[in-house]
Amino acid sequence: MSNTLDLKQLERKAFRSTYQDGLWDIYLGGIVVAMAITLYRPAGGYTPNNILIMLLIYTIIGGLFWAGKKFITVPRMGQVRFGPARKRRAKILAIVLGIIVALQALFVLLTVGGWLRSVFGDNLIGFIGEENLGRLSVAAVGSLFVGPSFLVIAYFTDFPRGYYISLMMALAVFLMILINNPIYPLVLGALIILPGVVLFIKFLKKYPLPRGERSND
Amino acid sequence: MTEPESSQSAAKFIEVDRLIHEPARLAVMALLYVLESADFTFLMNQMGLSWGNLSTHLTRLEEAGYIEVEKSFKGKRPNTHLRLTPAGRQAFQDYRDSMTRMLDNLPR
Repeated sequence: MSNTLDLKQLERKAFRSTYQDGLWDIYLGGIVVAMAITLYRPAGGYTPNNILIMLLIYTIIGGLFWAGKKFITVPRMGQVRFGPARKRRAKILAIVLGIIVALQALFVLLTVGGWLRSVFGDNLIGFIGEENLGRLSVAAVGSLFVGPSFLVIAYFTDFPRGYYISLMMALAVFLMILINNPIYPLVLGALIILPGVVLFIKFLKKYPLPRGERSND
Repeated sequence: MTEPESSQSAAKFIEVDRLIHEPARLAVMALLYVLESADFTFLMNQMGLSWGNLSTHLTRLEEAGYIEVEKSFKGKRPNTHLRLTPAGRQAFQDYRDSMTRMLDNLPR
């Protein structure tokens, strides 16, 4: 094994250690659980209150994640800034995500423009019904928005559990839109949160808060 | 290998930067080499060294001009941020090169 490889592994180990608090899992699982409310289609349609509640829920989840990192993780684990290689990866991620979003937007436009009907044809519509096909296509597009984007994010952010989380998220979006039953995001979100909670507890045990105001030197 | 060649190689081992060669300091240098900067707590956790032990090694590296220490306060808690200086980065690269050359040339 060459020295270069060892240094890469050292950097990767340091980088991945920032995920061992499980807060990303809890945060992303929380977003999936919140889909039970935010993606639920009320019989009377969405009202401004629904949208306000959605924004409030995501703000609370985001705020809790930020507070957890700032007040629980960093004081225990310390702070680190990674080198130029990580910054390069972040730039590539931004470009790749931009391309994915552009492709997804194109896909939506084509779908709206009737591309879907011409591809699947009337046979499929006759088989599952036009309303169901519409819902199925929205569910498929929704999960295609979420799944590949999070897979790419997991790859570029070197977050192995992210692959599992992205699959769970895509599945949750798909089932929630297709069946409109909050139980799916609740269960799938819990399947993401649980490992995160286990990791979080292990993290708290492994890294107790440094006591007192000891000088670093 | 003839005797003078052998003694030359042995002499090269002695020439190695001993400040970096010490295992704990080598670990600190290697970690800071792959990072932009890190604070004391992060280094301590990554390397499993005690507060005092790490502090001693950091002081020696700072005295040699290999690391830059920036002290500040986060609320009431002191915080020490560390990074390699250009001289420290160069010294680590030189150390790595010389060790690679020496070890690669040893017969198996």
